[in-house]
Amino acid sequence: MSDTTHSDAVFRPKPSLPPPPNTVGVVGWLRKNLFGGPIDTIFTVVGIWLIGTLLVTVYQYGIANAVWEANSYRECLDTVLPNGEKVGHSGACWAGVAVWMNQYIYGRYPDPEQWRVQLCLAILVLWLMPFWLPRVTAKIQTGLSAVLTFPFLAAHILLGGEAGSFLMLTSSLALALFVTVWLNVITSYAMNKSVGKLVVELTGMADKDDRLHKWVLLAGFAVVFLGALAYESSWDLVAVPTTDWGGLFLTLCISGIAIASAIPSGVILALGRRSKMPVIRVFCTMWIELFRSVPLITILFMAVTMMPLFLPVELNPDKLVMVIVAVCIFASAYMAEIVRGGLQAIPKGQYEAAQALGLNYWKVTTFIVMPQALKLMIPNIVGNFIGLLKDTTLVSIIGLYDILLMAKASGQDPNWLGLHAEPMLFAAGVFFIICFAMSKYSQHLERTIAGGYGRR
Amino acid sequence: MAVIEKGGSSSGSSGKSALAFINDERFRSVFYQLLVGAIVLVAGYYLYANTAANLDARGMEVGFGFLGSTAGFSIAWSLIPYTPGDTYFHVFLVGIGNTLLVAAIAILTSTFLGFVMGVLRLSKNWLIRNIAAWYVEILRNTPLLLQILFWFLTVFALLPSPRQSLEPMTGFVLNNRGFYFPSPQPGDLFFLTAGAFVIGIVGAFILSKWATKRLFDTGQKTPVFPISLGLIFGFPLVVFLVTGAPLAFDLPTLQGFNFVGGGSVPPAFCALLLALTIYHSCFMAEAVRAGILSVSHGQTEASYSLGLKPSWTLRLVIIPQAMRAVVPPMISNWMNVVKNSSLAIAIGFPDLVAVFMQTSLNQSGHAIEIVAMVMLFYMTVSLSISLALNQYNKSVQLKER
Amino acid sequence: MSMDTSSVDPTSGEYVASTMSDEVVIELVQVNKWYGEFHVLKDIALSVNKGERIVICGPSGSGKSTLIRCINRLEEHQAGDILVNGTALDTNVKNIDAIRRDVGMVFQSFNLFPHLTILENCTLAPIWVKGLPKAEAEKIAMQYLERVKIPEQAAKYPGQLSGGQQQRVAIARSLCMSPNIMLFDEPTSALDPEMISEVLDVMVGLAETGMTMLVVTHEMGFAKKVADRVIFMDQGEVVEQNTPDEFFNNPKSDRTKLFLSQILAH
Repeated sequence: MSDTTHSDAVFRPKPSLPPPPNTVGVVGWLRKNLFGGPIDTIFTVVGIWLIGTLLVTVYQYGIANAVWEANSYRECLDTVLPNGEKVGHSGACWAGVAVWMNQYIYGRYPDPEQWRVQLCLAILVLWLMPFWLPRVTAKIQTGLSAVLTFPFLAAHILLGGEAGSFLMLTSSLALALFVTVWLNVITSYAMNKSVGKLVVELTGMADKDDRLHKWVLLAGFAVVFLGALAYESSWDLVAVPTTDWGGLFLTLCISGIAIASAIPSGVILALGRRSKMPVIRVFCTMWIELFRSVPLITILFMAVTMMPLFLPVELNPDKLVMVIVAVCIFASAYMAEIVRGGLQAIPKGQYEAAQALGLNYWKVTTFIVMPQALKLMIPNIVGNFIGLLKDTTLVSIIGLYDILLMAKASGQDPNWLGLHAEPMLFAAGVFFIICFAMSKYSQHLERTIAGGYGRR
Repeated sequence: MAVIEKGGSSSGSSGKSALAFINDERFRSVFYQLLVGAIVLVAGYYLYANTAANLDARGMEVGFGFLGSTAGFSIAWSLIPYTPGDTYFHVFLVGIGNTLLVAAIAILTSTFLGFVMGVLRLSKNWLIRNIAAWYVEILRNTPLLLQILFWFLTVFALLPSPRQSLEPMTGFVLNNRGFYFPSPQPGDLFFLTAGAFVIGIVGAFILSKWATKRLFDTGQKTPVFPISLGLIFGFPLVVFLVTGAPLAFDLPTLQGFNFVGGGSVPPAFCALLLALTIYHSCFMAEAVRAGILSVSHGQTEASYSLGLKPSWTLRLVIIPQAMRAVVPPMISNWMNVVKNSSLAIAIGFPDLVAVFMQTSLNQSGHAIEIVAMVMLFYMTVSLSISLALNQYNKSVQLKER
Repeated sequence: MSMDTSSVDPTSGEYVASTMSDEVVIELVQVNKWYGEFHVLKDIALSVNKGERIVICGPSGSGKSTLIRCINRLEEHQAGDILVNGTALDTNVKNIDAIRRDVGMVFQSFNLFPHLTILENCTLAPIWVKGLPKAEAEKIAMQYLERVKIPEQAAKYPGQLSGGQQQRVAIARSLCMSPNIMLFDEPTSALDPEMISEVLDVMVGLAETGMTMLVVTHEMGFAKKVADRVIFMDQGEVVEQNTPDEFFNNPKSDRTKLFLSQILAH
């Protein structure tokens, strides 16, 4: 120590020595994570035994003893294994699942028309793709256009037949918006400017007043819209009634529409619940609390038993429509609480600063509060969507042939009588993959959002 | 200094036109509220008029009179005694009883399993931690209804017939008719044992209060835990034996093609209970894990540096803070258990929705009344649970400026 | 962080000459306000002339923030009259809008909009409230950002700036609406000591332009340098108001003396 007090002393750091061998490397890891003490070791052994048994069972049942080709469940059970025994219940009968696969996914949607379902999925994926393209601007507008208009386009394509004038107009609007979104993507990447800017420049209005640009863009969009309308009018699609819709397609259909409608209605309900006006607050609170406190199945029953009473006889709503309305009501109440949570997370100072600048209620909400709140809510919205996707299986109870009821039905087919476990496992796998992927993605989003604004 | 003429508090832009009131905040507020109220009323009237016309066309009347008439159908299994001659109102009560029974048991079992899984997820052991994590991930990412159907169709519907019953323990029988277990038959003096049990619990409670007071007053510790155990279990046991063990068990026995005696629940009940327990234990586990993680590590360090032993740290510092974060999601989860018990209808267990909203509704046709009654029941349960939760939140709220 | 400000203490140096005129721009008559049972403002009477700089001080909970928040209706007063530029602050929405457009406010916690860039923060209100074309709003915003000496940060987000820079942006954001009156609610209380001077510097500069300013602050140096009048409040009342000279050197009330001895003790 004493030499450090000398003014000419030079500090020489001691050389770093390697750590004790049993605290690092494989040995260190094992000691720390698996064999920390006698109890830990017992736990580890039990855990290994558990995993081992599980893996062996899964391998035996799902792969080694499984039957991949057969024409009936009986044939599956009677298949003889290499060791001379019959398969029985020791192996999965994937053959049945394979035969029914098409129905699990599309329900009774006619085979030659199934490209329409695939087309809709492709359009949706393409429509939402700009979210992941960093150079494309106007992401919020893109998302809004998809959420608000895609269902109409999908309905037109999927239902086919003669579209009414309302559906014709809305679905053409959707198609026009979709085309515009992708024109924007193309110009953004090819010319590094948004499609709006390009149109303004091409028409030679760039140096004119901002306010004129709006009209130019509107005119440009009108042209696209009329094109879409003309194109859709030329469609000649076979009508597929909703009673033929089913399988995973129907499940995604119902939950997709429900979540899309839940976002705007949830925002309105949440704003209403936070309103200073007692009448509006009371109505919104009642709606939210009522539909959050009862099980979805009771809302579904209410829809199918009471809606025919509530509406004029001549309206005679489609069962699928009634179910979708019920699921939408249910989802709106849950979404409202999520939005309310997001709104509560916005500090009061944000409202005050915006008000002090002279912005009115709707401008404060649109420009200041909602953009921040929505960003905070994304993980919860995804979580809610996962929940809703799982809850959609309840429509099978009132007789809609979603993936679950299809899976159940395959076990009642005379050829495949008793085939229960395999379809259920298949359906479980499908749900797990979708839900798990979404929850992982939402956790990823949560982390990026937790990173916060700025420093990006 | 010039002073503004007073007397014109409305000297600004207001008050200059007869229509100025439309800019008044209060007027706007009243106007919007009247508008919304009117829209709701009109929509309500529209639905009401349609319903009246539809009911008229079908020759039906709205009213709760039907509740007094005989239901006439049988119910496979009920907690509350029921015969087909009973009224619809009795069916309603039977449904509530079955729903609450399965929900209550599922709440207990799933909370217990959830606590275990939540603690295991935080284990230092890598293997255990991951097994628990995958248990939670796999089971909470598949629909509950699918799990219910899976257990029912592939396990409980395939159980052997009564003659080949599984009997893992004497008196506990499992077959395709259900799960049979010994039912206790308390004797005349059994009430003394029950009373002793209650006294034991009260005594243990008083003891812990007294021990805390003694600790604060004199600094001496009392071995509360073993004494409490003795009070709660030992004391009733002594009373039980002294009074001559007045408790018999009625064992299920095979008679002909079925078991008689003992208590029993149908396979659907078992499937529902199993699925509810497993599914909701995942959410409980997540709540427990998040709650424990929410207590910052600094709290543990501060506690250790004050010289508190790890066990005391856990009891006095970590758990009280963790509970604050665990209880609210756990209670909302309990609420979900009650709601999700309605999925019983998919496998034919006679819960409230199945017996009342389906069978009774189809038979009597009184859709509006029945839907309203069922919803009212679930709302009552939910609202009382959330009332209790609010009370709890208020009591544990951190006192902050 | 830019070191463009003050190697000199902005609150020292000579008094900034007042350009106060006789025209009254804010008039408070018997203003009363309650939070539930708690009487926060008791019979406040105050009139502010155009170009006047007022510093309001007082212990915490004395109602000084509430007072200036009432002036642009962030809080509603329950009795009495408030007139700004001759417009009464009542339940008329148009009047509230008109007053808010004309009164800028700077908050203790900056309250910049974290999802918008600095430039967007400054142009939002001019575009959406005043209806200025975007290009013009941006030009004005850049002028003010230059005045608060951070034009180079225009494309960044608030989270990327230091506290002092954020508060200067907040001042520029208010100025973009070209207000006649500026309210400051403890603008330096949330800042680290080394950043206080850069914000005060900007405020002194603003005072030099003849802006009407009401400043709630504990920066007594600032009060001595620019204030035309210092108002001391306690328990919802104006205890004493006077010129800074008189206020600091010759306080009348014993409550004021106690307060001054507490804040000037160290």
